[in-house]
Amino acid sequence: MTSSGPAVPYTLIVLKIKHTVYGWLLLAFTLNLSANAQKSALDEDHAGFVPVISGGAGYVHNVSGGIVTLEPQINPVLLVPFGRHVLLESRTDFTGFFQRENLTDGPFKGKIFKTVEYAQVEWLANTHITFIAGRYLLPFGIYNERLQPIWIKNLQDAPITATIGTRTSGAGDGFQLRGVATQHPGYTIQYSAYFSARSDINQLQSARVAGGDVSVFLPRLRLETGTSYQRFLQDRQIDSVAAYVSWQPRKAAVDLKGEFDGSYYGRGYWLETAYSFTTLPIPRLLQRTQVVGRVQHFFPAHGGGNSLPHVNNQRVDFGLNYYVRDNLRFISSYGRTFSSQGNANVWNVGFTYRFFFPLWPAKRQP
Amino acid sequence: MMHKLILYLTIIAAMIAPLHAATSRKEEDKRTKAVVGSKPAETTGDDVFQANCSRCHMPPMSISPRTAGTVIMHMRTRARLSREDEIKLLRFMAP
Repeated sequence: MTSSGPAVPYTLIVLKIKHTVYGWLLLAFTLNLSANAQKSALDEDHAGFVPVISGGAGYVHNVSGGIVTLEPQINPVLLVPFGRHVLLESRTDFTGFFQRENLTDGPFKGKIFKTVEYAQVEWLANTHITFIAGRYLLPFGIYNERLQPIWIKNLQDAPITATIGTRTSGAGDGFQLRGVATQHPGYTIQYSAYFSARSDINQLQSARVAGGDVSVFLPRLRLETGTSYQRFLQDRQIDSVAAYVSWQPRKAAVDLKGEFDGSYYGRGYWLETAYSFTTLPIPRLLQRTQVVGRVQHFFPAHGGGNSLPHVNNQRVDFGLNYYVRDNLRFISSYGRTFSSQGNANVWNVGFTYRFFFPLWPAKRQP
Repeated sequence: MMHKLILYLTIIAAMIAPLHAATSRKEEDKRTKAVVGSKPAETTGDDVFQANCSRCHMPPMSISPRTAGTVIMHMRTRARLSREDEIKLLRFMAP
């Protein structure tokens, strides 16, 4: 035992040196890849590749079943490119939940929750493969990955089935491959496949899951349809599936989206449509208005639970949004839930703002 | 057991299929150059912008050329765009 005393620091030093060398080799390899990537890229644009802080911020005044919740939030997104093929990006969510002390009276009390939604490194190898490592959003259905940001979603409340396929935190810790399997003038087939390890680390919680997503996009029709599959590989091992459609017809300012989700704990669907007044022959000031409608229905199975309702649930929502600018809008919506546990009205009023700052100036190429 | 086997085979197939389909970067750049330099009948950056961005959100119009590269890299991953689409978008947003 006595002789092992000095050996420990030595081993640690060797390990430290090894790790440093591996680190530098990895960095050199990455930079080399980026440099090569830049050489091969077409120099036919003058796009700058500077680090950017982007994201959304907003405030939602929510009244659900008579209980008022104040929800200020900000979701900064950090984008750091290394050349044209490697990107480091992350998004952190800071959301406050403040309610009256006795729910209906008393002073407002609450706290701000911080969540690292994703922190990943992407290597955009080519059209067919983008390799992602780190903490990524689970690509299940269309809501979690695409519509969740506050400045994107048309209605602020998530669909009832949004937790299907996204447990336990909406993110996975591991790796993911995604890209375009094949592209033709008439259609594009896109895919993603991932594996996530279980993690209980603070801010990096994730479940051991594996899954994938395939979608077909018809650019002429602006129609996308796809399906997702996930296997939950811890505790009760269950399958989750989703099928979705997204359509923005050329001739009308309509955005139609729908999704079916199913898992061991239940199944349900949501259908949302949004109509912008942009093409209507009305004063320009009113053309910035958008109306939204959504219906959803959830049927629990095996008692429901796991972030899903325990009883049959129906909900309708109507929204009215007004775009002051493309990055600033006022939002409002009314929804009503119908279930055997009681019906309730849900009101949301507030605003959303998308911000965008380059972190340092870039030379514009001549 | 059979269930797990099917799952793993599906994941492996999903990963191998694009690898198999992938061409070398050189070939891809050549093909891209051909597409970019070809006839006006091809889809333009504006078409790509309108068709793809509106799939998820109201397309933001206020992106400066100096940050366009970073944003389009981000969107290429998120929206699973092809390299060809990325190049058209770059030329459209930062000509």
